[in-house]
Order: sequence, then structure tokens, then C-alpha cells
Amino acid sequence: MDEKVPRSKIIETEIPMGTVHPAALEPYRVRLFVEDEIVQEAEITIGVNHRGIERIMEGLPVEKANSLTEKICGICSNAHIWNSCRTAEMGLGIEIPERALYIRIIMGELERLHSHFLYLAHGCEVLAHETFSMRVFYLREIVMELLAMIGGNRVQYGCSVLGGVRPRCDLDESKLLRLKEDMDKVEEGLTDFANRFTSDSIVMSRISGIGVLPQKQALKLAVTGPTLRATGVARDLRTTMFEYDNFDFNVVTQPDGDVKSNLLIRALESFESIKIIRQAIVNIPEGKVVNRDWEMFDTGINESYIEVPRGTLYHSYALESGRVRHSIIRTPSMSNIGAMQYACIGDQITDAQLSIVQCDPCFTCSDRTIEIIRR
Amino acid sequence: MFENTLINSILAVIGTVLVCFLISTLLPGIERKYIHARIQQRIGPVVMAPGIMAPIKFMFKENVEISSPVPGLYKSLPIICFIVVLCVLIALTPQAYQFPALASLVAVVGFLKVEEICYVLMGALSKSVMSVRMPFPDQVKGAAHLKTTKSFIEDISAKRSLRMITYGSFPLYMALFAPVTAAGSIFLSDIVAYQQANGPFLFTVSGAIAAIVFFIGYMIILNEYPFSIIKAKSDVIEGPYMEYAAKYRAVVYITRGFFMFVLGAIFSVLFIGVPPTILSWGILVNIAVALIFVFMMGIFSAFSPVFTNRQLLPTILGATLLGILSIVLGLL
Repeated sequence: MDEKVPRSKIIETEIPMGTVHPAALEPYRVRLFVEDEIVQEAEITIGVNHRGIERIMEGLPVEKANSLTEKICGICSNAHIWNSCRTAEMGLGIEIPERALYIRIIMGELERLHSHFLYLAHGCEVLAHETFSMRVFYLREIVMELLAMIGGNRVQYGCSVLGGVRPRCDLDESKLLRLKEDMDKVEEGLTDFANRFTSDSIVMSRISGIGVLPQKQALKLAVTGPTLRATGVARDLRTTMFEYDNFDFNVVTQPDGDVKSNLLIRALESFESIKIIRQAIVNIPEGKVVNRDWEMFDTGINESYIEVPRGTLYHSYALESGRVRHSIIRTPSMSNIGAMQYACIGDQITDAQLSIVQCDPCFTCSDRTIEIIRR
Repeated sequence: MFENTLINSILAVIGTVLVCFLISTLLPGIERKYIHARIQQRIGPVVMAPGIMAPIKFMFKENVEISSPVPGLYKSLPIICFIVVLCVLIALTPQAYQFPALASLVAVVGFLKVEEICYVLMGALSKSVMSVRMPFPDQVKGAAHLKTTKSFIEDISAKRSLRMITYGSFPLYMALFAPVTAAGSIFLSDIVAYQQANGPFLFTVSGAIAAIVFFIGYMIILNEYPFSIIKAKSDVIEGPYMEYAAKYRAVVYITRGFFMFVLGAIFSVLFIGVPPTILSWGILVNIAVALIFVFMMGIFSAFSPVFTNRQLLPTILGATLLGILSIVLGLL
């Protein structure tokens, strides 16, 4: 299976956890094979929250299907509807107004901030450090309120539509001013948190060298997103997305691939997101936010990849009489599951959930198949 | 005359226990409301909620069927724990000093060991639905290992509790025996009398070091963060307490608060020389010590993640060495 543990090793005890566990935000089963509290192997199984969204999308009008994709994830809902719209827009050749692109980026980066903050808070919660967890949640609250200001909801904003963004999500001067002021607050709070967190020697001793995922193994398992970048690989799809052409940002990496690297990279990426949002506030052009001047026609399979908070998100479908056919959605957690299983190995049971959490799982989004067991 | 003295003593002990018990019900609320919540900049619960309102609520809840191979024993363990804590408190009262077998450090240590053994039994006897019993098809085609011995997560708690008995609670017992080196006796009456004559043991070098060790041991035996490895939320969740519901859960909550107070009272007796009794204003010292310990524990736990064996072992080793140092200094 890997270099850490030979496959032939005799496993003495199995400790199954889940599908319900307070350290896990989502339902999944993990079988830990342990010897004297040290994890020798791990096996993660998902599939208890399958909703069949791709199946439901089949035959739906593309606008409705796009709205439905937002329901895949409560954390990166905007990313799904954005990428779903993007898939059709690329297939139909729809030109997006530049102002709409900026608003999509602002929403995308705000979503990245709230996802990363949730990750940091959850990581601290699993560490049983409630004080740090609470402090990050307070920061996240500012971001959630900004998302509600723009999209009208704290989740499920319904911002992107074919051809741009909904007019209600347009940003006037007062909204841009609040956005600017709140970015200052978030940056100040995040800097304070990062300083306190990294200077806490007890916390550092708990997270350094835990859940190590070597770079070679990460590439072999096709890991994506910050979990890959935490192993030292500078791969971020935003550098290839045309929407980000006018933005200056750094692709952050960390060297070790452990829990510490994963936590730090989310904090550092949050600073980059703040930088991107500030550039968008300053440079957002005037003009319309949605292009309704386009025609529907049948297309082959259209594909779109974007970088979402957890990694690479893939959407594809064909269009037939304005309806969706052969929809496939691949979320980043699907490829990161292997990393989660690997990261647990060699650590104590207490660290196993932390090693899984460090890969930022979103299993409910990843449930794509279901096996019905007939008894 | 003898009968009057006996009745007065019994009444004094009952009164002391009642006062201590009432104060102890406020301690968990004080910890959560005024320390954890303040540090975390949130409102927190009502002060009486964790120690009084929650147990009352649980008393009147319908009990769920406990999943345990020996349900009777499992259900009786919180009550045994409460009785043990009660016995320790009675042993600390001056009225108990006429019974040397009860009012001695050996008896106190023995009672505390029973408390610890109860955790082992609780962990071993709890078989909750959170792991093996969860109806999930693990051994399906493609599963990596098919013939393994499956273990409940509470079993890990039981093993950890056993480890804590063997070495985890070492600092506490080292600190408990440090005053013995100064007083030259294991009887509480002698230790109190020595301190009333020579001043509190706390204000000696040996006593100050032992007090630090005692505080570490206090947090360990209360299973408080960062030493809560037997009920770490990240793996074993509630650990030994997992299956307790309704009135049994209420007893667990009550015992925890009571245990906090009693440990503070042990410190008052051994390090300050003030035993708990309602016949003396000295009981205020006991209350103050209990509150100080709760405040300190709250601050430490709010700023610490849970320790794994990697951090726990060096901490316990360090605290034990300090305990040895305090005993050696006491002997000099």
C-alpha cells in the first residue's frame, strides 16, 4: 500500500469509528487498525449521505440544474454554482461582463476565507483547544455577514447565473466600503490569531510531525488544493483561470505535509485571499453584471475545472434542448480521501481524527455512488 | 455527655458535608461561566446550569437502556464514585480524627485509587453504539482486513485509565505524601497539628514545590484538559461516561463538582492545616482554596489542547521528579 507500513503486517486490533462522531463534521466510517494505540492502517468509507444530485440534474433545464449544484455543499456552494455556470458558458461561448467576473471572484475568495476559517476552527476543536477555535469562529462570522450582505444568505447565495451574476448581488459604493473595512478587521484578527497560534509551544508540539503526507505520496494519490500545496507542490488552478488574469497573488506552499503545514497554509492563503479581494474592490469596473444576449444550442460534453477552497472542482455536462445530459461532478475530497487514510498511519489514535481533518474532508459533497445491499 | 459529644460530632460532619456539597454544585458553573466563557469572549451558561440545573434536569429524564455486559455494575459505578468522594471529605473533617484508620493519608489515597479504578471499570463495561455496534457493513468486498479483533472506543479509555493508575496519578500521590515528610506522620490530625504549630506547609520550599505538583495531579485526576486523555473528544468522545444517561448522568455531574471541592479540601488540610468543618471559620479557607483551584484549572484548560501520550508522559515524568524533589527537601 505504501512505504509507511508493509502490507503483510499482521493487524491485531481494529477500532471502528463513526459514522457518527463528534470530531467529524460529516458522516463517515473510519476503521483504524492499531497496535498499542498506534495506527498501522486506516480505511475510510463514505456513502451514507448520497443524494443523487447528478442523477436529479439529468434532463433538468440548465438554469435549474445550476441552482441545484449549489446544494451539493454548504461550505463551497458558491464554487459549485460558479463552476456549473462556467461549464455551460464555456460550451455556449457566453461572454461574461468584466464586473460580473470581479463579483464572482470576490464571492469566491470570501468563500475561501470562510472555508479556511472553518477548517482552522475545526482543527483547533479537534485539538481540543476551544479558545483558539472560538477566536477563529468570530473572524469567520465577519466573512459570513459579508456573504449575506452580497448574496442575501449566509449559505446558498445563488450569486452566479448564466452570463454573469444576479443583479441583486451587484456591489454599490456602500457595500464596497463595508467590504474594504471588514477586510481590514479580518486581516488584523487573522494576524493576531496566527501570531498567537504559532507562538504557542504546546499547540506546536501537538501538530508538528503529525499526519505527515510526503510530497511523493501526495502526487501519487492525485491530492489537490491546499493539502497538496502543504507538501511543497506549488499547484493552484487559479493561476490558469482567465478570471484571475488581472490579479496579483502568491501560490503559498509549506514544506512538511503535516498538520502544522496544513493549518499554516490555510492561514497564509487567507491573507492572499484578502489581497485579492482588496484588488477587486479597487479595480472593479463599471458596467452591467449579467449578459442576457446569448442563444441556447446543443453542445457536446463541456468541462470546467476551478480552484475551490479544498482543491480542484470538476463539473461536466452536455446540453440538449437546453437540458443537462451526462452530468459529472468531482469534488476535491474525492481525491483527497487516499491522503486522509495515509496521513493517519504511524500516529496515535488521538491524532487520527486530526490527521483526517487536516486534509479538509467534505465527504457529503463527494458521495457520488451508492451500493444497495440486499439482505 | 459522651452521647451529646457524639451527636454533636455527627451533626457537625453532616452540616459540613451539606455546606461543602452545596458549594461544590456551583464550581463547574463558575469554571464554565467566569473562566472559559470569559476567556473565549462568549456569554457562557448560567452559573447554576452545569452543577445544579443540569443534574436536576437529568434526574427527571427517562433512562435509556444501557449497553453493557454488566449493566448493574456499570450503573452503580457513578454512585460508588460519589460515595468514595464523600468518604474522603468525611475523613478530612476534624471529627473523623478520632478514627485514625479513616483519617490517615493511606485511607485518603486508598479512596482516590477506588475512584480511579471505577474509571477503568466504566470504560471496560461501556459498549456504546459509537463504534463496533454501529450498524455499518465494514467487512464487505474490498475491505482491507476481514479477520480482526474489533474493539470498542471505550476499551481504549479503560486501557488509558489503567495507565493513569499506574503512572498518571503519580504526581498527585507524591504531592500528598510531601507534607508527611515534614509532619513525620501519616495521620491527618498530626499533619494539621504540625502546621498549626509551625505554620502552613505551603510556605516552605518543599511545600511550594509540592503544591505545584498537587495542582498538576489535581487536573490529571479530574480528567481536565489538557490531561483528559481518557475522555478525549477527538477519539474516545466521553470515554467511560459514554453510556450514562438520565439520573446516572446526573450523578456523574454532581460527583465531578463535589470531587473538585474535596480535592481543594485535601489541599487545605495537607498544605495549610485547615480542615473543613462548619464549626470553624476555617471552612472559608477550604472554599477559597476550592475556588482558586477551579480558577487556575479553568485558565490552564482554556489555553491547552488535549495531550496525547507524546506530551503526557514527559509532563507526568517532570511533575513526578518535582514531587520527589519536594519529598527530598521535606526530609532534609
